[in-house]
Amino acid sequence: MPITILPPKFSHPPPPPQDISDSDSDLSSDDGGAHLDFASLGLPNRKPNPANNPLFTNLVTPGTLITPDPQWMRGHGTYIPPHTTHITSSLAGIITRTNKLISVSPLRARYTPEVGDLVVGRIVEVQAKRWRVDVGSVQLASLPLSAINLPGGILRKRTETDELQIRTFFAEGDLVVAEVQQLFQDGGAVLHTRSLKYGKLRNGLFAAVSGVGGGSGVVRSRRQVWTMEGQNGGGKMDVILGVNGYVWISKHVEQVAKELEQKHMGITNMEENVSAGVYSSQNDPIDSDTMREITRLRGVVTALVENGCRVDEDMVIRGYAEACEMAMLSETGPEDIYLGGQRGEELTRALRGN
Amino acid sequence: MASSQHVLLSPAELSYLHSSLSLTPPLRPDGRSPTQYRPLSAETGILPGTNGSARICFADGTEAIVGVKAEVEKTKRRWDDDTIFSENNHHQQQQQQQQQQQEGEEENEGRNNNDEEGGSSDWVELTVEIPGYRDDDSGTVFLGQMLSEALLADGGFVKRLRINRRFHWKLFLDILLISPPLSYPLPLLSLTTHLALLATRLPKLKSEGDEDPFFDDDWAAAPYLYARDPATKRVAERPPVTLLVMAVGGNIIFDPSKEELAVADVVLAVSVGDDAQGKGEDRMDVDGSNPGRNLKLLSIRTVDPPSRLTPPGVANAANSAYGHAQVVNTGANQKMPEARQTESEAVEGVWKPPRGGAKAVVMGALVQKVLVRGGVADEVLDALEGVDTS
Repeated sequence: MPITILPPKFSHPPPPPQDISDSDSDLSSDDGGAHLDFASLGLPNRKPNPANNPLFTNLVTPGTLITPDPQWMRGHGTYIPPHTTHITSSLAGIITRTNKLISVSPLRARYTPEVGDLVVGRIVEVQAKRWRVDVGSVQLASLPLSAINLPGGILRKRTETDELQIRTFFAEGDLVVAEVQQLFQDGGAVLHTRSLKYGKLRNGLFAAVSGVGGGSGVVRSRRQVWTMEGQNGGGKMDVILGVNGYVWISKHVEQVAKELEQKHMGITNMEENVSAGVYSSQNDPIDSDTMREITRLRGVVTALVENGCRVDEDMVIRGYAEACEMAMLSETGPEDIYLGGQRGEELTRALRGN
Repeated sequence: MASSQHVLLSPAELSYLHSSLSLTPPLRPDGRSPTQYRPLSAETGILPGTNGSARICFADGTEAIVGVKAEVEKTKRRWDDDTIFSENNHHQQQQQQQQQQQEGEEENEGRNNNDEEGGSSDWVELTVEIPGYRDDDSGTVFLGQMLSEALLADGGFVKRLRINRRFHWKLFLDILLISPPLSYPLPLLSLTTHLALLATRLPKLKSEGDEDPFFDDDWAAAPYLYARDPATKRVAERPPVTLLVMAVGGNIIFDPSKEELAVADVVLAVSVGDDAQGKGEDRMDVDGSNPGRNLKLLSIRTVDPPSRLTPPGVANAANSAYGHAQVVNTGANQKMPEARQTESEAVEGVWKPPRGGAKAVVMGALVQKVLVRGGVADEVLDALEGVDTS
């Protein structure tokens, strides 16, 4: 079955269940008789009509008048034009209402960096003293040369030689995992990789799941990085979920322990040691079983996003277990790693059912 | 030939992709089998003002729309006779004409025959639009060329546009990619075009012979450009379809994604169509035991894989940023900071872009794999036929 062609469906799932009918009754019975002016805008009927896709019942575009009533407060995604009291949408999205606060949650949005976020980024430009990094935000983030661990010890001073050799650390196209250190006024981010956890990525697969709205995609959570055991003979795998929606799945490498063993060095020199391998762009040998499981895990992440689920540690681990089970039941056994289209839907249905 | 767009991937990623795609069976990053297409959703008849239209979406959000409009046009004629001229076979026909003039009267019949059947490639106008690219961008032009080439290759398509000796349909195909090109859009555009042509209907002709054409007002009576068999409701002969095929190591992969193209050794765009001539005899021979149909190779283009432009990886041994702490013979490397640029021997786990041309054996295998009976091309054509075009 090399090709499947399905009838078209709506690419976004219905909005989360803060229900339209619920807010409806609230609005009408509310004190003050405030009303959201849908009817005059020519928007579809507010009442949930099974024939209408629920998505479109309170969908607004930039410039749409939401309400002229001054008793509502404007929230994110809205503005009030000067000399009026009209709350107007500034985004294409779905109206959400919390008590008296009206906000519009966008259908699709770019990543907005915040200090402390763990991000995966791709180097797109190398400048004299810094790199410009694509993190899926409106602007490129910058990674100054002074914010990386230079080889040969964490306490080394940055020299001119380092500036000349800037490309040997990171070059165009390289993937890095970093942390947002600082934000500029305009929303641009400055990154740093001054930790053992951060640095260049290798031994694995990349997946970009950024820019999807409606509650799916990567969410900020307690753990963005973890190591998990591969099933079906696969080795350990590292998963990095960048808050920006860039995901890296790779083979787990016991770098620290191995090098310490080799060099018989104490824990005090660990920093020096680790920085040795951190700028390598050579993959370690990876067996095919691990590769297969890495691919399966990537399939789980993309299936979750395609079907409007959030991506976090819990969902990914459960999804992976479910995917392994699905593969076991299929004809080809564990070799079956395809999780696109209908199989992805099956997977997320099973996860939601639990 | 024109290149597909440049991709930015790190050498470590490229090396990983290459080794996973070179396994047997290959492990594709999205888990598909080597011959599997991305799942897509399709519909036809989305543009009410056109003669035929189609829309196809991939799950990743790439989406294309094709609209077909038809217009009656007077067939260009020479002042002195009825021979139809076209840009493509201008010279041929001129030669023919000269021959005919030399050989005298008897050739007239032959020429008339030619006139009955022939069409001209400028009866079809095809434009491709890719967001973010100029109309005259080499990539866009190349895509348009490949798609129109497949249509016009055997001259069978333009024959369908003939009304009578004096008039023909002029077909305008507008191919629009709605989303930014997340992967090389050729397969998507080709599938959408195919579907739009399957759904295309032209008004029913009421006039006869060479008189000015006069059409039936009833749209319901309009016949399809690709006529359906009234008994089986199946399309007798179908528009061409262009498949994108690539090879990595010994593996042949259909409908490659952007990441896969980035490590491809060879990429081919192969256009196939129904073989109308061979079919009749063959159906009788095989007597339905083989469900596959005769496929005809219409055109092949090599697509420059972006893999050749990717930066090579640096082996740890040559990496001056590697192993400083260990102070193991980094002295030599220190002196060549441009080590990254130098080409090195193949090292396990280090990306090395493919060099040199494609092997003839590999190219042959690719084409063979496309044309195999009951193979991918067949199934793609069948699946497209299954889409509701009414």
